[in-house]
This record gives sequence, C-alpha cells and structure tokens, in this order.
Amino acid sequence: MDSIRIVRINSHIYIDKIMSLVYFKNVSKSYNGSLILDNVTFTMETGEFVSLVGRSGVGKTTLLKMLIREELPTKGKIFFDDKEINKLKPNEIALLRRKIGVVFQDFKLLPDRTAFENVAFAMEVAGYPNEMIKKDVPEVLKLVNLQNKADNFPYQMSAGEKQRTVIARALIQRPELILADEPTGNLDPINSWDIIKLLVKINELGTAVMLATHDKEIVNTLGKRVISLENGKIIRDEQEGKYLI
Amino acid sequence: MIAILKRMFKTAWQGMKRNNWLTLACVAMMMLSLLIFSSTIIFNHLANSLVNTLKEKMDISLYFKTDVPEEDILKIRDELLANELIAKINYVSKEEALETFEERSKYNPTIQKALEVIGENPLAASLNIKAKNTTDYNQIIESIKNSAFQDKLITIDLTENQKIVSRVDTLARAIKIGSLAAIILLTFLSFVISFNTIRMAIYSLKEEIEIMKLVGGSNWFIRGPFLLEGILQGLFASLTTIIIFSLIILLLGARIENFIPGLGLSTYFWSHFWFILFLQTTFGIFLGIISSFWALNHYLKI
Repeated sequence: MDSIRIVRINSHIYIDKIMSLVYFKNVSKSYNGSLILDNVTFTMETGEFVSLVGRSGVGKTTLLKMLIREELPTKGKIFFDDKEINKLKPNEIALLRRKIGVVFQDFKLLPDRTAFENVAFAMEVAGYPNEMIKKDVPEVLKLVNLQNKADNFPYQMSAGEKQRTVIARALIQRPELILADEPTGNLDPINSWDIIKLLVKINELGTAVMLATHDKEIVNTLGKRVISLENGKIIRDEQEGKYLI
Repeated sequence: MIAILKRMFKTAWQGMKRNNWLTLACVAMMMLSLLIFSSTIIFNHLANSLVNTLKEKMDISLYFKTDVPEEDILKIRDELLANELIAKINYVSKEEALETFEERSKYNPTIQKALEVIGENPLAASLNIKAKNTTDYNQIIESIKNSAFQDKLITIDLTENQKIVSRVDTLARAIKIGSLAAIILLTFLSFVISFNTIRMAIYSLKEEIEIMKLVGGSNWFIRGPFLLEGILQGLFASLTTIIIFSLIILLLGARIENFIPGLGLSTYFWSHFWFILFLQTTFGIFLGIISSFWALNHYLKI
C-alpha cells in the first residue's frame, strides 16, 4: 500500500511516496459483541523495528493474529506487501505465512523433535528439498548461537535456548517480517536480553520486526518506534518512543 | 514434489502408528465390509451361472411306444420343428438309449443282470425337445397333448428344473437383498470407525498441525496425510480381504465344489482375481477417502 511520508530537510519539506510492508486501515475486531480493536490505522515499513505495547488483553496478540490471517478483522482492511490479507485464497495464506515468521511466548516446539528437526520442519512443510534443509538449518542455528544444541530435544534445552530455536524456525524461510508475541514472557532478565539482542541483530540484517510486549524496560532501552494501545485504540505512535502506559 | 509426498506418507504412517489399535479396528471393520462386498459379487455371478445351467438342462422328452417305427418318429420330429416355440429336437433311438443306460449303470451289477434276464432292449425311442424360452415348455406340452400323434406316446416327460430355477432365483434374490443390507450396515460402521480414527489422528497431531499452519504449510500438505491415512486403511483392508478369500478358496474350494458340483467357484475366483481385487480396492479406498474427508471438514480448520 502506498503511503506518504513528510520529510523535513534544512527547512524544506519533501513528500515521499513509499510502499509499506504492513498497512492496517481502520481495522476493528470484536468477539461476541465486545470490541477488542477499535479503528486501528498504522503502517510499517520494510526493515522497520516496531514495538507494540499495552496492557495484557489490550489486543496486541489479536492484531498479530490478523496479520497472519489466523483471525479476520470485523471491519477494515489489512495489507501485507500491497496485498489485502482478508481477500487471500487458501494457497496464498500459506505463502503469506512463509513471509512472516512468528515467535511465541510458549515456544510451540515439537517435543519429540530435536532443535535441528524443529527448524527443519518449517522447511519440510514448505516443500524445500532435503539438500537445502541440510545446508540452511545449521547456518540459521549458528546465527542464533545454537550450533552445539542441534541434536538436543526441547526438554534438554533452557527456556532461552528454546526461544532461540523458535527464532531460528521463524527465520529459516527468510521472512520479510518477524512477529514476536511476548517472546521474553517466560525468560529471566539475562535470557530476555539475549533474545531482544538477537531480534535487533535480525532487524539489522534487513528483516522487519514487530515486537508485542509489556516489558517497559526493554521498550525504553531499545529506543525504536513504539505503538501504544489502550482500550483497543492506538493512543501513541512515536519513533524512538517510550513505554508510557 | 516427491519430497512432499514422502513427508506426507511419513506423517500418515506416524498417525496410524500413534493410534494403532483404532487403525486395526478400522481396517478389520473395512475388511468385513469388503468380504461381504466381494462375496456378493462372486455369489451373484455363481447364482446367475447356476440358473443358466439349470435352464439349459431343461427339456421335454417324448417317449414313443416300442412298436412305432423310426420313420414315423422322424416325421413327428419334422412336424414339431415347425412350431416356432421349439428351438431344437434331438432324436434318441432305442439303441442309443440302451447304450447310454448301460454306460451309466456299468457299475451296478443288479441292473446289468436285469437287462440280461430281459434279453431284449426294453427302452423306448425318444425325442428331446428344447424350447426357445424356458417359460414356453407348458405351452409346448399342451400342443403335443392335443396333437394327432398323442396316442403313439408312452409318456411326456418335463424335467422338473423349472421349479429348481425359480427356487434358485428366489434364494439368489433373498441373498442379494441380505448382502446389500449387510454391506450398507458394515459400510456405515466402517465409515464411523474410520472417521473416528482420522479424528484421533487429527487430535494426536494437533501440535504439528498448528505449527504447520504457522510456518505456511499449504492446505493440501496439512490435509494430505489424513486423506492418505484413509486411503492406506482402505488398501490394507482390501489386501487382507483378498488374502483371506484366497485362503478360503484354496482350503475349502474343493469341498464346496463337492457339495455343489458344477458351481465353478475356484475357477471363477482365480480367473477374476484381479477384477475382484480391483473392485474391492476401489470400494475400500473410496470408503477411506470419504471418511477422512468428512473428518477433516469437521475437525481441521485451516
């Protein structure tokens, strides 16, 4: 979706037309008559890092679920890569989900598979050949510093290691966007910072990251764009923002 | 593509292994349905061939008094051939009748001795009449009874196959209806069990399915293994059924043949082996696919 950015350089104003990676246009979502998101509009650009903040139950997870078409908006339109998500056909939904990597608080790892197999699973599902899987998975595991844990099962890993495996799985299909829903929710402060640093590193390598969190310290230290949600509405959207709820 | 198919097979196999008892029950129930299904096909053919054989054996025999000369009998034959209800007439002379009788009773010394005592040929010449339609025999008999040569006859003999044919027909129809009812019932039970097996497989692979969806597994990649599971169940049931059938025919075929001579059960089974296997496999796979599809539409939302 095209949007307009106003840039001021040396007292001159420039209007810059750019194509957004994500565009939420007047999106509302309600469950059984109760409004969760109310007329939400924002854009997110390619390679951007956005923190989505707000109290628990404010609609952060719903917003992320709508981006991967697990939920449909009650009203409004959502675009990803200029395509309206609501109108995607089933095979296009699968392709959308390959472009968006997802990281959850509760990991969602397969307990009977090793770290290598869990990461490989995402490639198997997408139909990649075995040779490519054997080549790519160790590289991604190295990126998340898990090269020595490739043969470990989830029960043999710490919470931080599990979360890094999940990030590796999210990265393996080279997505354009990583959605991280409270990725540090089950981690101690040291592991939490490791994960956040990893997400920043991934973002620096060119992948956009949307981090949904209610961890004030993390958001304030990051110094990146912050979208604040309250009562289902965006109450603040600031570059280099702070957690102010 | 091959890699995807292999992965689908792996997942399907995993699903079957995780619910092995349910899979076994499902295959057993499908097997029962297929046994009845194939038995009906075989029985239907055998009943038809039995009825045809019996119909072929039906005829009217006109036995002539011993003093009627052969020329007269042949004249009567020619007269009768003009009747459009009659297909063919076979003349059996006194000598031929004796020859056949002696051949048939060669192991019966009492009859042979009796023939020696009599000293001459006691048998009558006959005309064996075959009608074009089995239903016309009574009409032909009536016309013979009203004919001019009626007084030259000792007896008019109609083989009693008509009653047997109608009895076999009635029995075959009853068995067909019974088999059909059994097929419907067993198919329904197979469907219910297969449906539940797939449902259990969906539950047992819940985590995998959720992650498959998250990482962009296509609709068919997620559904494929469950449909394959249904197909495999149908295939296993069909293979088991054909093995059981073959064993029954090998072990009991000869005995059944002794009990009902001319049935041709073994001959029919082996000459139609691939046809029966094809039909029951198609039926089994169809049953598996329908149940899986139903379960997927109910329990797997993508």
